Amino acid sequence: MSDKNNQTISEKIEQLNALVLWFEGEEFELEEALDKFEHADKLAKEIETDLDSFKAKLTVLKKDFSKE
Amino acid sequence: MENQSLRVSVGEFIALTNQTLEFAYPSIEIEGEVASFKVNQGKFVFFDLKDSEGSVGCFMMVFSLRIPIEDGMRVIVRANPKLTKWGKFSLTVQAIRPSGEGSLKKSFELLKAKLAAEGLFAPERKRLLPAMPKKIAVISSVQSAGYADFVKILGERWGAIDVDVATVQVQGEVAPDQMIRALNYFNEQEALAEVIVLIRGGGSADDLSAFNDELLVRAVASSRIPVITGIGHETDESLCDLAADVAAATPSNAAQLLVPDKADIAHRVRQSLRQIVHKTEGKVTTHQAESQRALLRALEKIEQRFEHQNSRYQQRVELLQAFDPRSVLERGYAMVRGDIARGGTIEIETRKQVIHAEVQDVRQK
Repeated sequence: MSDKNNQTISEKIEQLNALVLWFEGEEFELEEALDKFEHADKLAKEIETDLDSFKAKLTVLKKDFSKE
Repeated sequence: MENQSLRVSVGEFIALTNQTLEFAYPSIEIEGEVASFKVNQGKFVFFDLKDSEGSVGCFMMVFSLRIPIEDGMRVIVRANPKLTKWGKFSLTVQAIRPSGEGSLKKSFELLKAKLAAEGLFAPERKRLLPAMPKKIAVISSVQSAGYADFVKILGERWGAIDVDVATVQVQGEVAPDQMIRALNYFNEQEALAEVIVLIRGGGSADDLSAFNDELLVRAVASSRIPVITGIGHETDESLCDLAADVAAATPSNAAQLLVPDKADIAHRVRQSLRQIVHKTEGKVTTHQAESQRALLRALEKIEQRFEHQNSRYQQRVELLQAFDPRSVLERGYAMVRGDIARGGTIEIETRKQVIHAEVQDVRQK
């Protein structure tokens, strides 16, 4: 769920969205675009890897709720 | 022969009778219609339970009354028969629940109106659920199909989640109290879950009636942790649904509303990359087009300037040509140069000839 930099998947998705906004926005500079694209590509790969590795941890409590 | 009858005091007789009744009816449920319902001092509930064959008085404490009751409702009571010290026979009621569709509906509507008036179902009380919860609590029966559906969909859609499950009964008289205890348990933990999920698969109106228990509905409404319900089928509506922050139509739908779909996220991520590529290509094309336009503008300017200069040059050439004496000769005129005086020698130049002549006379015009 998080990489070696302890970034959560939602943080990575947020970063990717920010990059998309940069590409769509007025600040776009062709000179910076390649670096930004490489960053976006890396994030996308990490997100997909994270998604593939997801596994739910299910704990059925032993506590007996039939008693006070 | 001596009479062998048992002789006891009145008090002893009452005690003996009660012992006999307890032995004969350790647990009994009686179904009938409520009549003469009243609450005394806000604590004691009295009513008669009757049918066409007879009627019996009932007594219960108001805190045991978990659903609204009124005269004419058909109910099932769980009670102990008892002879009071005044010799009156009555049923001491432990639990009461509506019986039959009409009574269930009536009880549901009465409690719904009461709790709605208190604002328990108000939209402004509803809290948003986290978009990607990491820790959730589930209250359900782990044997139920509804729970299995929920866990399956949860795993398929997301998976990155810690789930603590409280196993409780989700129908019957004991169900509401078990679910309340589970709600309280999760709300008292040091590390709180982000959402509590209350689920149960489909069932009859009577099966689902546990989710219309007043105390359970209040516990859902007062939970510190947001609650999502997934109870029964699409058409079922419980008071817990109304009190919850989010009411899903079914347990599967609760999983869908609770977590995003990872396939959908992966798709959106790929779409984001495509969008970036598309945007970049677009920007490059725009840059190229802008450069070409600028180049064309520059060429046009150069051309205009060239034409302007050329035109000025032409004008000058034409002017110079107009001043050229040869062009005058071309038109048939002649140029005269030399000594313009009687007896002087002059040179006359025409287009084709140069003539030398002597001046015979010079007169003023």
